[in-house]
Amino acid sequence: MTLHHYLILAALLFCVGLMGAFTRRNAIVVLFSVEIMLNAANLNFIAFWRYSENPALLHGPLFTLFAIAVAAAEVAVGLALVIAVYRHFKTVDLESMDTLREE
Amino acid sequence: MNEVVAFWILSIIAIFGALVAVRKRNLIHGVFALLVFFAGLSGLFLLLLAEFIAAVQVLVYIGAVGILLLFAIMLTERVTGDDDRRVTSRGWFWGLVVTAAVFVVLLLPAIQQLPPPKAAQTIDPSVKELGHKLMNPYVVTLEVLALLLTAALIGAVTAAQGVRMPKEEDSPE
Amino acid sequence: MSLEPLTLTDILIATVPLMLIFATLFAFTTWLERKALARIQNRIGPNKVGIPCTRIGLFGLGQPAADGIKMIFKEDIVPRGADRLFHLLAPILALIPAMLVLCFLPLNFPWIKNIQGLVKPFMLDGAVIFFFAITGLNTLAVFMAGWASRNKYSLLGGIRAVAQMVSYEIPLVLSAVIVVMMVGSLNAAEIVKEQADEYWFILSPWGFTAFVIFFIAALAETNRSPFDLPEAESEIIAGYFTEYSGFKFALFFLGEYIAMFAISGLAVTLFLGGGDGPGVTMNPEDQGLATEAFPGLSAVWFLAKIFALIAVMIWLRGTLPRLRVDQLMGFAWKFMLPLSILNILVAGFAWHAEQLDNTIITVITWVISFAVLYGAASGLNQLNRGKVRPREYKYAE
Repeated sequence: MTLHHYLILAALLFCVGLMGAFTRRNAIVVLFSVEIMLNAANLNFIAFWRYSENPALLHGPLFTLFAIAVAAAEVAVGLALVIAVYRHFKTVDLESMDTLREE
Repeated sequence: MNEVVAFWILSIIAIFGALVAVRKRNLIHGVFALLVFFAGLSGLFLLLLAEFIAAVQVLVYIGAVGILLLFAIMLTERVTGDDDRRVTSRGWFWGLVVTAAVFVVLLLPAIQQLPPPKAAQTIDPSVKELGHKLMNPYVVTLEVLALLLTAALIGAVTAAQGVRMPKEEDSPE
Repeated sequence: MSLEPLTLTDILIATVPLMLIFATLFAFTTWLERKALARIQNRIGPNKVGIPCTRIGLFGLGQPAADGIKMIFKEDIVPRGADRLFHLLAPILALIPAMLVLCFLPLNFPWIKNIQGLVKPFMLDGAVIFFFAITGLNTLAVFMAGWASRNKYSLLGGIRAVAQMVSYEIPLVLSAVIVVMMVGSLNAAEIVKEQADEYWFILSPWGFTAFVIFFIAALAETNRSPFDLPEAESEIIAGYFTEYSGFKFALFFLGEYIAMFAISGLAVTLFLGGGDGPGVTMNPEDQGLATEAFPGLSAVWFLAKIFALIAVMIWLRGTLPRLRVDQLMGFAWKFMLPLSILNILVAGFAWHAEQLDNTIITVITWVISFAVLYGAASGLNQLNRGKVRPREYKYAE
């Protein structure tokens, strides 16, 4: 296994996430897609760390750890927002939430 | 040899899980596919000898985020999770084009321009070392992160709670 | 740690006996539980099934085998509206994590010794955190079962289980944190070695508090009585496995008991000295391997301690009534969580005091921490007592 295998895999996963974010209407699925993209980036961090000159510095795992913590916060706030929006518009369809006013 | 086989199996699982997660009509099925993706990725982390990250991946993503997503779906969709309306967005075609462009134009050339790959060094995976690093040079980051998580906790509760309903709506006569 | 290639034989030697032993113990525990509950309720319990074609009863020891045969041949029913795939997957998903975490217990079986250099399932540096990560998957299986059945009682049971497990996971992990702090390692073998060298953690004030919190949270995690609301038969039929029968139900049952073994095993590892006991000396350089009076003695000690905890669980099931949902949640968030956070603080101070290596200071620390923890527990008890109100009925008089 070389670094390139992991990088191409991560790029593919990132594109799957991007595709999901572009092609779905449901806000929760868009959140899934963002998670997939973040995880692909984490895979890149770990792969670069594993094949780096000096893995003993542990930069990859540390950065990934921080990224995971931030992602967890992001999911919590994101889902809370989705629920708040759902309460207001009675839908989580992103295309029907196109107004800032109350209707 | 074992490593190559494991890599291919895990990457197929991860890609399959991600694809199902973003395209499945039933959202609950989608969440479980997403969890399969997280599990595959955790296996890849183990393969890269980052065992602590693999454990945290399972703990945070599968254990916490998965449950959170399930609850959010149960609160917003119908309980069965079936979505019989149109699920694809209006601009799906251009979305696909942009996705393909990102992959072919940006990511692949960037990966190919890397220096020729070296063999991985043998390393000694140690959770203890990671802990020392977190406590010594990165302690400020850790504290800021703790603050961020607390803020996110409070923010999430406030946002999800919304405006308090007047009391009389609670008890129908 | 160098990654030497494992042969398939090594892996099988390390894992297959583990599964066989715990499956056998599962059968024995079901018998033990039925017998013990019967004695508590002044009954005899199963006493007929013994050796086939004879009249020898053997105290009903053949009952688990008979139950097993019945379960396998029972008709498997799937509700018409159910999600067939998830209905099938849920029991499997319930069993796999429970089986998997058994690998992280530092059990010194004699046959593992020869291949110790190769197979080190419990020598993982982060064994404890892996344990918690994988135990958390059980929640998903329960939700899956409840959701896939398309039955409102199943769904209620599933949601109850998820809420309960998520809430009680926090005190569970926080009380394990104390041991990790004291030892300075997440490695299960090192935790056991440290206890063999110093003292079992249950013997210190903070360790005892942590153990009690851990045990209560473990009861809730495995849905044991008095926290068996997800399967409360008087309220929601059988909770998340209402729609399960036959072999799938047997899988759930097996998974539940294996999870009990696993979490008791973790409690033994963290607080009760693992395989330590008379006739066993832990070798510091061998990473948790022990010198024993005869081979397998430390594994026997380990299993005996597990069974002691299982016996307490059975005893509690026979004597305590079930909690109400609001009491359950209040207990986790208003009592166990503050107490375990305070306990972490106390343990931190105690660790620093122990570093001074002064007997008088150590004794004073122990007394003070005991007083603080006792005061906090009774204070929290007083605080919460006034808030437990009688139930308000919405749809009944």
